[in-house]
Amino acid sequence: MTTILEAHALGMQYGRRRALTDCTLDIPSGHVVGLVGPNGAGKSTLLKLASGLLSPTSGSISVLGDAPGSGPAQLARVGFLAQDAPVYPNLSVADHLRLGAHLNPRWNQEFAARRIAQLDLDPAQKAGKLSGGQRAQLALTVAAGKMPELLLLDEPVASLDPLARREFLKYLMESVVENGSSVILSSHLISDLERVCDYLIVLVTSRVRLAGEVDQLIAAHHRIVCTRREPDTLPAGLEVVSAEHTDRQSTFVVRTDAPLPAGDWAAEPMSMEDLVLTYMETGGPGHRPATPVSEAVLNDAASNEAVLNEAVSNKAASNKAASNKEAGR
Amino acid sequence: MIWLTWRQFRTQTFAVVAILAAAAVYLLITGTQLRHSYTTDLASCQPQNSCLGLLNALQDQYSGPQFLAEFFVMAAPALIGIFWGAPLIAGELERGTHHMVWNQSVTRTRWLAVKLAALALVSVVTAGLLSLLITWWASPLDTIAGNRWGTRAFNARDIAPLGYAVFAFALGVTLGLLLRRTVPAMAATLAVFIAVQVLMTAAVRPNLLPATTTTVPINQTTMSQAERFDRSEAVTGPVTIDLPAPPGAWALSQTPALNSAGQPIQTSEILNCWSQMLAQGPPAFKGASSGFGSLGTCLAPLDLHVDITYQPAGRYWPLQWLETAVYAVLAALLAAACFWRVRRLRG
Repeated sequence: MTTILEAHALGMQYGRRRALTDCTLDIPSGHVVGLVGPNGAGKSTLLKLASGLLSPTSGSISVLGDAPGSGPAQLARVGFLAQDAPVYPNLSVADHLRLGAHLNPRWNQEFAARRIAQLDLDPAQKAGKLSGGQRAQLALTVAAGKMPELLLLDEPVASLDPLARREFLKYLMESVVENGSSVILSSHLISDLERVCDYLIVLVTSRVRLAGEVDQLIAAHHRIVCTRREPDTLPAGLEVVSAEHTDRQSTFVVRTDAPLPAGDWAAEPMSMEDLVLTYMETGGPGHRPATPVSEAVLNDAASNEAVLNEAVSNKAASNKAASNKEAGR
Repeated sequence: MIWLTWRQFRTQTFAVVAILAAAAVYLLITGTQLRHSYTTDLASCQPQNSCLGLLNALQDQYSGPQFLAEFFVMAAPALIGIFWGAPLIAGELERGTHHMVWNQSVTRTRWLAVKLAALALVSVVTAGLLSLLITWWASPLDTIAGNRWGTRAFNARDIAPLGYAVFAFALGVTLGLLLRRTVPAMAATLAVFIAVQVLMTAAVRPNLLPATTTTVPINQTTMSQAERFDRSEAVTGPVTIDLPAPPGAWALSQTPALNSAGQPIQTSEILNCWSQMLAQGPPAFKGASSGFGSLGTCLAPLDLHVDITYQPAGRYWPLQWLETAVYAVLAALLAAACFWRVRRLRG
């Protein structure tokens, strides 16, 4: 299997609201894929389409080469952890493992029991009495215990405190390494994902803004600072992603698959977080990748401010966690 | 799937078994006492031909428990619909656990099929056991009453409660799936179930099989059995005479007194007989010696008759089966709607 998810012109509409528009993706296998975007960008919709919980209103999607949710065999190959990690409050932790064992032909009881032991969960405890972090861990164990080839996680850490986030992601990566499965996980915070993902999809206002392997994306994007100029005066081959201007200076984020040509500018590489925020800022409705100088600068800044602030406030936490990054991978 | 269904339903099952056991113990004890009283009463009263009062007293003595037991059998299907049907899918949707269970290696169709089949079976068995108990318990009282067509008597006996139970369950599941909220689904289940029950009892059941109509002449014999004689205040207007339907039959309707041409007679035509009857004193209770009997003698030359429409006694079991079948078909249609809907449900 070379492709875990292939979507062509995929669209999803709830009544008149478009949740996902013209989404075309081809994700190769063996990746931990981060799906990033502000709240309401369509991340959950894409994951539910991939799990078969939803059927698209237009376009097509195939997961591991088959239509999502098309039958027991396909369901067995894809694990899904929904937002807020639902569990049965009246069933005990052990009951949840029994549920997995009874409903999944490839269930790995040894793996699941070992993880519950590592997590220090009492098997007799009712799931309704677990903390948010423990619940998420239990739901992850059930999703991973069926040995899926692809694990879909919808905002798995959104409700967790920073420590629980780190624990969750650590166990997630251990499970992935042990089982050799691919993962797609979503978050509205890049800081959650930057430690674990090697493939990135940025989704803004129902459209895919950016998709690719993290290393390649980082290598292809540059921030250049130069004297004030129009974006179209830049050399050909540089795709302008964003432009900011002050009285004397212009700052561009450019994308080029070739090495950055020399010019009268100062160039600096971009971090993953920088990159994602740049695409989120320029992803507003009707926004073109490059803004002419004459137009208002950053006219979508206000609408993205909330996301920005959240991201900035979490940056400190993510920097602190940076030392764990290597271990996480 | 069977394990999960059992595990999620375990507590309710134990509760139901406990309630059924308590009901069974109570009904078996009081039912045995009732049978004992019935046979000793019969043995003592038959020689003196004085059974009517004694058996009526027995009926009165047990009317409280009988009402409660019948009410319980009639309420059980509603409770099944409310507490087993409505939360079955609505509860999963509310907690979001459908996201978990629908992503195990089991299709939604199979998930629903196992749950529906298992709980429908439990519903039918529960209603069946209750109905069996109360039918046995009340059989001496039913013999005394001689009427199996009353709402409580028909709805809380034999196989009809099985149909109600499976229908109420399917109704609860369907409404839960449509409303996606447990409590509104419970309320809607109760409201719709009661509406359907009232409609069925009052409007559908009498017409499930074509009724029989019989013509009864007005004479001394028939009038001595009359339950009511009613004339209008004015000299015009119809005369109403309530005559009993054949034994064990379910009387549905009857016409006012008709003349030989089939036209309703006017009060003026019977005023003579009416005055004669009043002159003899007020009419006593029905019986050959009553005033209605002599009224019959006086009215006989007028060649009057009354048409009675009824379901004969032998229709009891056909109607029980038909009504159960109607509810079973409704339940099957609701289940089919659930399968159709759950496959298209947007998680």
